[in-house]
Amino acid sequence: MKTKVVTILTLLIACVYVASATAAGGDEEVESLVFPASYKAMSVSNGGTISGMVKFDGAAPEMKKLEITKDAQVCGKTDKHDESIVLGEGNGLKNTIVYLMDISSGADFPSDAKYEMDQKGCQFDPHVRLLPVGKRLTMINPDRINHNVHIFSSVNAAFNKSQPGTRRKMNVKAVKKAEGPVNVKCDVHGWMQAWIAYIPHPYFAVTDENGKYTLENVPPGTYQLGYWQEACGSNKDAPVSVTVEAGGAVTQDFTLALK
Amino acid sequence: MKNQSYNTMLISVAGLILLLAVFPITVLAQGKQAPAASEEGKALYDDKCAHCHGIEGAGDGSAAENLLPRPRDFTRGLYKIRSTESAQLPTDQDLFDIISNGMPGSSMPAWSELLSEDQRWQLVAHIKTFYDGFEGASPRLIDVSGKVPYSEESVAQGKEFYTNLGCVDCHGVVGRGDGTSAPDLTDEWGFRTWPANLWEQWNYRGGSTTEDIFKRFIGGIAGSPMPSFISSFRLGLTDEESARMNELELKMDNDGLSEAEEEEYAELEEKLFMFEDIMLKVEEGEELEPDEQTKLDTALKPIFEKSWHLANYVKSLGPEERPQAAVGDKVLRSQYRAGALPGMNDEAWNEIEETSYFPLVGQIVIDPRQFNPSIDSVMAKSFYNDNEIAFRFTWDDRTKTLPQTDDETGETVEDALAIQFPVKISEGPTDPKPYFIYGDRNRPVYLWSWKVAEPTTVTEMTAKGINTATVQSDQSPIQAEGVYKDGQYQLWIKRSLTTDDKRNDVQFTPGVFIPIAFSAWDGSNGEVKTKRAISTWYTFVLDPVPSNKRFVYPPLIALISVGLLFGLRNSVRRRQNT
Repeated sequence: MKTKVVTILTLLIACVYVASATAAGGDEEVESLVFPASYKAMSVSNGGTISGMVKFDGAAPEMKKLEITKDAQVCGKTDKHDESIVLGEGNGLKNTIVYLMDISSGADFPSDAKYEMDQKGCQFDPHVRLLPVGKRLTMINPDRINHNVHIFSSVNAAFNKSQPGTRRKMNVKAVKKAEGPVNVKCDVHGWMQAWIAYIPHPYFAVTDENGKYTLENVPPGTYQLGYWQEACGSNKDAPVSVTVEAGGAVTQDFTLALK
Repeated sequence: MKNQSYNTMLISVAGLILLLAVFPITVLAQGKQAPAASEEGKALYDDKCAHCHGIEGAGDGSAAENLLPRPRDFTRGLYKIRSTESAQLPTDQDLFDIISNGMPGSSMPAWSELLSEDQRWQLVAHIKTFYDGFEGASPRLIDVSGKVPYSEESVAQGKEFYTNLGCVDCHGVVGRGDGTSAPDLTDEWGFRTWPANLWEQWNYRGGSTTEDIFKRFIGGIAGSPMPSFISSFRLGLTDEESARMNELELKMDNDGLSEAEEEEYAELEEKLFMFEDIMLKVEEGEELEPDEQTKLDTALKPIFEKSWHLANYVKSLGPEERPQAAVGDKVLRSQYRAGALPGMNDEAWNEIEETSYFPLVGQIVIDPRQFNPSIDSVMAKSFYNDNEIAFRFTWDDRTKTLPQTDDETGETVEDALAIQFPVKISEGPTDPKPYFIYGDRNRPVYLWSWKVAEPTTVTEMTAKGINTATVQSDQSPIQAEGVYKDGQYQLWIKRSLTTDDKRNDVQFTPGVFIPIAFSAWDGSNGEVKTKRAISTWYTFVLDPVPSNKRFVYPPLIALISVGLLFGLRNSVRRRQNT
């Protein structure tokens, strides 16, 4: 009887007691891109080009080596590093999205483009994937081991499907709304992480290994130019204004620092 | 009042008939629909739900911090327990059922006893207001019509899928939630999460019927790492075609394919993608042509069948109900055994059919507390002989944690178990036992402390309070062996019944009810010192020795009885003769 009372009492205390936080968690809010209210595709002639380089401000941070905790015979063939800051020549910053925030009409997406994301060796490639709204994404698994494709969307329905070693290619349904960038994870291999941006128009670019980007075929006009980078944040509150002349070329560089 | 409710019923019946006439059968299959959101629903929600789920439904109520699993954030439309397909919203009926039945293994209680049906439907309506996506949504239901009955063959097939489809990655080889991916899992909000221990069906959040298991497998558990597994199979391909694709892929990676094989592979892939395309159209919300629908239904049938096998296998793993605690007729009885006591892996342990079950809860009396212990029970069997007693304890732990530094507290943590007895066994019911956590100043406890780093050592300790355990200077010889396998620890301990140190050690006497209690630490859960799982006092008993006197007294009594009878008869005869 007494032990029962004690148990009930302890349980009661458990219910009422509010201690300091015990569980870590709660990812910080990811900044999102800015999309136009609507976009009309049309043919563009005599468009201009915006190009430039995104540089990282300061010394290159150490690329943290990721711990391969399982399937080492496949995943551990090459070293894996944290890809949030990847620098090339002249501190050029890879994987930065540069885009037009306020374009309301312009070119359509190329009709024959294929959108893929590879999981080879338990690493997503590319690390930042642009995916047009309404297009399907092909996930590739050449590893012959189990992966799962977990896309943390919230504007569109979140997605989480298994892609075992026998599913070399798996197509993922197209979404209806612009969103992102959203996180992509493989829960089986906790270190695997990438980004998908569901984009409503083609004026988005991801910087290459040397931080270079190009937006082509831009209809003449003045636009707000934005960037997004997973570790450095975005300039959505203070975009850069650029004016593109017919057939002209504009250069716009950015220098980014850690948030 | 009576009339009113009668009228309401009449109107409801009339309404139902009208509904039946107007709506196609598919809508009805989704169950009842929630009413429009109302002030009453909001008031109820604020009163009953907001403490955990937050006023705005973001899962951030004042109590949320200490709960694991965390209360659900309703603002993203991610619901774990659904009767609907992958990436779909739940039906109103799904939400109603969760509110009514609660979620076992979590802090979500069942409200069916506390709130009327109408009130629960009002809550459903209010919860839906936290996520815009519910407007106009008509989630697709998982087809459960093809259920495969439970059978040995089905379970055997299911086990194969369990092993090959990647279930083992998280749930572990035998299903105790101890897979190699398990230690790193987080949910979509970044909170720590564990794969289900499939042996503990009473903890399945969405119920443990075969249908429940099937639905989780097909639909996934939204917001958690558990994906939908419907994509595991090659849609539309026969088993032979699928096996051929495996073969070709293996060859592709090793020797490369001949031209003819490349063509063959391309054809198989094209067929697969043709079926997948239909599936994707459905997922994207497009209407299907009748022939497409037929093709899809035909292609899905074998996949569903395989999934039912898997559900049957998972169902086969453990009991539905949590075992009864070791009290009353379930009390732990150490069984007498003449001769040597069985070692760790001795067959003899199987002679004791039932394992005694000791539930554990978090230690929340003093800081640092443990509100969310991961070890929920210890099980035990015991034998003794004329000189010694042996125990075999088992407990589930999803990870084997050797001494390591905890990221949060900087403390050295490791897996451990302590078995606790009073130093002096209370004499009679009025004599109080020591305090249930490590005793008290007047009534010390005697501890067997075992730690994973030294699996063959048990240290004798004395404790006189919750935080005051000291190693005894005089250690009695105790044999021990601890092993971790497939998400479970097994610890074997043997000691003599009596020791020289009678002042500090418990003495085991047959026929006496001896109190026993446990403390368990899961290092990977940051548990050390007072942050641990504990049990209350239980008692166990060394079954009285079957006495040798049973061979002496009964014959003796029989002999005396017969003698007396003879005596009686003789005396009667004598009397008759005189």
